[in-house]
Amino acid sequence: MSETYPTLAQCAIVAGAFKILLFPAYKSTDFEVHRNWLAITHSLPLWEWYYEKTSEWTLDYPPFFAYFEWILSQVAKLADPAMLRIYNLEYDSWQTVYFQRFTVILTELVLVYALQMYVDSSRGASKRAAQAAAISILLSPGLLIIDHIHFQYNGCMYGILIASLVLARQKSTLLASGLLFAALLCMKHIYLYLAPAYFVFLLRTYCLSPKSVFRIRFLNCVKLGGGVAAIFATAFGPFALKGQIPQIMSRLFPFARGLCHAYWAPNIWAMYSFVDRVLIALAPRVGLPLRAEALQSVTRGLVGDTSFAVLPDVTPRTCFALTLLFQAIPLFKLFASPTWDNFVGAVTLCGYASFLFGWHVHEKAVLLVIVPFSLVALRDRRYLSAFRPLAVAGHVSLFPLLFTPAEFPLKTVYTVFWLVLFLVAFDRLAPASGRPRFFLFDRFSTLYIAVSIPLVLYCSLVHGLVFGKSYEFLPLMFTSSYSAVGVVGSWVGFLVVYFTS
Amino acid sequence: MAGHAPSTPRQRRKAVKKPTANVIVSVDQHLSKADALVRTPTFPLSAFLWPARGSVSQWEILPLILMVAGLFRWAAGFWGYSGLGNPPMFGDYEAQRHWMEVTTQLPVSQWYFHDLLWWGLDYPPMTAYHSWLCGKLGSLINPEWFALYTSRGSDDANLKIFMRATVIVSEYLIYVPAAVIFVRRYSRLSGVSTWSAWVALVAILMQPATILIDHVHFQYNTVMLGFVLASMSSMVAGRYYWASVFFVAALGFKQMALYYAFSVFAFLLGNCVFPRINATRFVGIAAVTVVSFAVLLLPIVLGTLYDVSHGVDPRPDLDGPRPPLPLFPELGKYVDSEAIYYPVIEQLLQMVHRVFPFARGLFEDKVANFWCAANLVVKLKQYPSELLQRGAALMTLASIIPPNLILFFRPRKTLLPLAFATTAWGFFLFSYQVHEKSVLLPLMPMTLLLAGKHGLAKDTRAWVGFANLLGCWTMFPLLSRVELRVPYTVLTLLWTYLLGLPPTSLSAYFQEGSSLWTQWGTFFVHAGFYLAMALWHVLEATVKPPEDKPDLWVVANVGIGAAGFMICYLWCLWRLAVEGEVIPKSWTRKAKPKTQ
Repeated sequence: MSETYPTLAQCAIVAGAFKILLFPAYKSTDFEVHRNWLAITHSLPLWEWYYEKTSEWTLDYPPFFAYFEWILSQVAKLADPAMLRIYNLEYDSWQTVYFQRFTVILTELVLVYALQMYVDSSRGASKRAAQAAAISILLSPGLLIIDHIHFQYNGCMYGILIASLVLARQKSTLLASGLLFAALLCMKHIYLYLAPAYFVFLLRTYCLSPKSVFRIRFLNCVKLGGGVAAIFATAFGPFALKGQIPQIMSRLFPFARGLCHAYWAPNIWAMYSFVDRVLIALAPRVGLPLRAEALQSVTRGLVGDTSFAVLPDVTPRTCFALTLLFQAIPLFKLFASPTWDNFVGAVTLCGYASFLFGWHVHEKAVLLVIVPFSLVALRDRRYLSAFRPLAVAGHVSLFPLLFTPAEFPLKTVYTVFWLVLFLVAFDRLAPASGRPRFFLFDRFSTLYIAVSIPLVLYCSLVHGLVFGKSYEFLPLMFTSSYSAVGVVGSWVGFLVVYFTS
Repeated sequence: MAGHAPSTPRQRRKAVKKPTANVIVSVDQHLSKADALVRTPTFPLSAFLWPARGSVSQWEILPLILMVAGLFRWAAGFWGYSGLGNPPMFGDYEAQRHWMEVTTQLPVSQWYFHDLLWWGLDYPPMTAYHSWLCGKLGSLINPEWFALYTSRGSDDANLKIFMRATVIVSEYLIYVPAAVIFVRRYSRLSGVSTWSAWVALVAILMQPATILIDHVHFQYNTVMLGFVLASMSSMVAGRYYWASVFFVAALGFKQMALYYAFSVFAFLLGNCVFPRINATRFVGIAAVTVVSFAVLLLPIVLGTLYDVSHGVDPRPDLDGPRPPLPLFPELGKYVDSEAIYYPVIEQLLQMVHRVFPFARGLFEDKVANFWCAANLVVKLKQYPSELLQRGAALMTLASIIPPNLILFFRPRKTLLPLAFATTAWGFFLFSYQVHEKSVLLPLMPMTLLLAGKHGLAKDTRAWVGFANLLGCWTMFPLLSRVELRVPYTVLTLLWTYLLGLPPTSLSAYFQEGSSLWTQWGTFFVHAGFYLAMALWHVLEATVKPPEDKPDLWVVANVGIGAAGFMICYLWCLWRLAVEGEVIPKSWTRKAKPKTQ
């Protein structure tokens, strides 16, 4: 009688049916990006992969992902060989669409498997909570919007991440956890943001003796170091032999891009730009100097290279320093008490820090916070109250990704469905905490959640009716500023919970 | 059992979402005793609602159910509609769009006369009013969608979104509330627990046939079906006047609701006669019906009179002398063509003429009913059409008289879905001018059985599932014409999966407690049909039909479908006879079936 219902497999089947129905839905340029990568990996020899630039969507993921595309392309040629031609830009025959969409659903099985591992690894009373959390990740509107409509392969990769996190739960599988994470890094380098937590955790629990920090377990160090080195060698080795590492690095880390991504991820910099924009109106009265060239970009609204009119400009170096600083803070606690809960908490906080302070952060990266947080959100009610504004803000911030009218009811109704279902379910499942809650925090979070309704209505309907096509940046700015408040609020809340529990 | 404190270990395992705070669990209203004893869900749909077995308020679960049903409908709408990119005539989508064009752009008196060759309006007035409303709303967004003449065959992407939205909104205003209320009333009447009623509601809302036809293929059947449901729901609640109003609305939206008319009549009349004759009720129902029809026709009549007074000709395209009256030209001898009421009569006759196309053949296209199947054996075209029409009328009457007699003599509310289903099957199988989409009409009440007593037990589930799957399958040729194989496959398989039916599971067979003959009989009949359907799909996809018989697969579909529907008709009739207690008890050896 350990089974709880519905099971993950049952949810996966029904969700799968829904996702197949979404085949003809809107797809972003990421669809073409991945088609192009299929074509590159299939028709070019290995050492030309990172140099090919017929399409503007060049290969900018690490080699394991390229290998992954190569494997997919072996099947793709059975579906429609035409999609594998590099010059066939923007090619989207129905076979191509079906094939690519279907691979997303199929590779998401990794996530289902990892979540099942997570549920199985939970014991006793928390098992039911683990099941609910697992289902919430599987049905996440974030994954639905990003993977199954917008088009990406996050489901598969977050599956690997969760599997690695779950493996870290047991002493015997710590090595596997580290190696799996190394492999994940070679698939998508965004997970580098989480690497500090892994480093500290594995260092403390695997490489150092649990009894004393000063006793080093050399054999374990060799195993882990050698394993990670071997994985990186498998990924990058063939390219290193040809001396292509600098080229790959320039593809993976394009620092030429701006601070804020076109859609403004809801982070500190979105709030920073919002304040800047407010100050433009106030500056003449207070006598602050305005930079004229920045005003140009203000009127354009959507900008790749944000420059600020009043506030000082932000350099990548500043972002990097701030990110590292806020990542380091929770790591001290992790080093001192390396429990699994603290580890997942630290991973979450690393995600938060990089999302909030990182350079050119994409709003899709919010999954980097939501997914690990979901695993511990049901520990007790204090965790849950920090999770709640994140769940709302994180998903609302994804809405601008889908701007076509047909997808509007889909994204809103699905997200509302998910929020109602899981916030209600989590509320019942999360046990009470032994410690007092923060003063008024829950009230504010309820108020915050309530504000999302008029906000979404304004951005999707009212704005268009009132202003038409002008001031297009306004809804985006409101959405990201609103979401930024939620993400920052939940970050602060979670920091407090993390350090006081 | 249900009254026990929720803290006993066994209870804790069952109430999945146990409230943590100081909430007292009251399971008694939600679960019947039999339900509470069940430890594991028997089919996936009940697993999905398993967490709702605790004290979950309806205000939490109902919105969730409605959102899921809506999401699947909207997602299905992403696929193509009938007639997409298929000139010159396009399809049902164009017909509906064109009616919005006609009703918003032309005076009322021209609605039923305007260019009849291009999807002339041939539905009753309520459809015209509905089209007018949708057309007006749509014109606010983009007037070009419904511009006269120039909008024909439009495949504007935003127009598609608007049209899809009108279907969903209409359904959520009429069908969905009616279904929710019906399921609640009917399950309470049958003594079914609230939790089982939720399961049944989801199964009814996720019924693949209606989603495929309304939200993929494109039609507004759920509006008519919703009015019928509202009428049935009023009958269950004992509000017979409202029942007649809603039924007139259903008839006024789509004439196909006539399939149910005999049952409505039999039930209402039966209630006026048994247990004692109630003349007031009878007169009241008659009066309400007449008034409802009058209200239904009033806008058309007033519009015609208005047009006459403003000198608008209903047929501006015709020159020369006034054409004779439609349908009954000889009536013109008795009516003064200059009289003020003449245009009204002309208008109403034209409407009836358009709505009931007596001039068409016995059957249209290939449809899985008796006539089309019989045509495979005997070429029916060789007989005079009058003989065929008379034959069809007689056969139909013969098939619908037994169920309606039962309903008349035993006017019980619990029998409503069965009687409605049997009558509609009779009409579908034997009547004149049947369309393959008409199979929705018998399917709707039959699916409602899930909300009744033992509705989720294996036996009922197996038969309701069988009818629904067969129904979807006979509509496959219609759907494959517009390349809708993917939504067809996904939606039907999803439903079978949720209800634990073949081809995903055999769990709905071998009901404990019924006789071995029934168990194996059901199993073999269903297995035979399911295998035939599967084999048909394989052949249809891989083998080209021989040159001289291009319609071979469609014909095979029709033959198998008609046989299966006949069995469904017989099963419904038998169940009706058993539950109406017209058959002596000794005949039915069936022991009392256990709940699932």
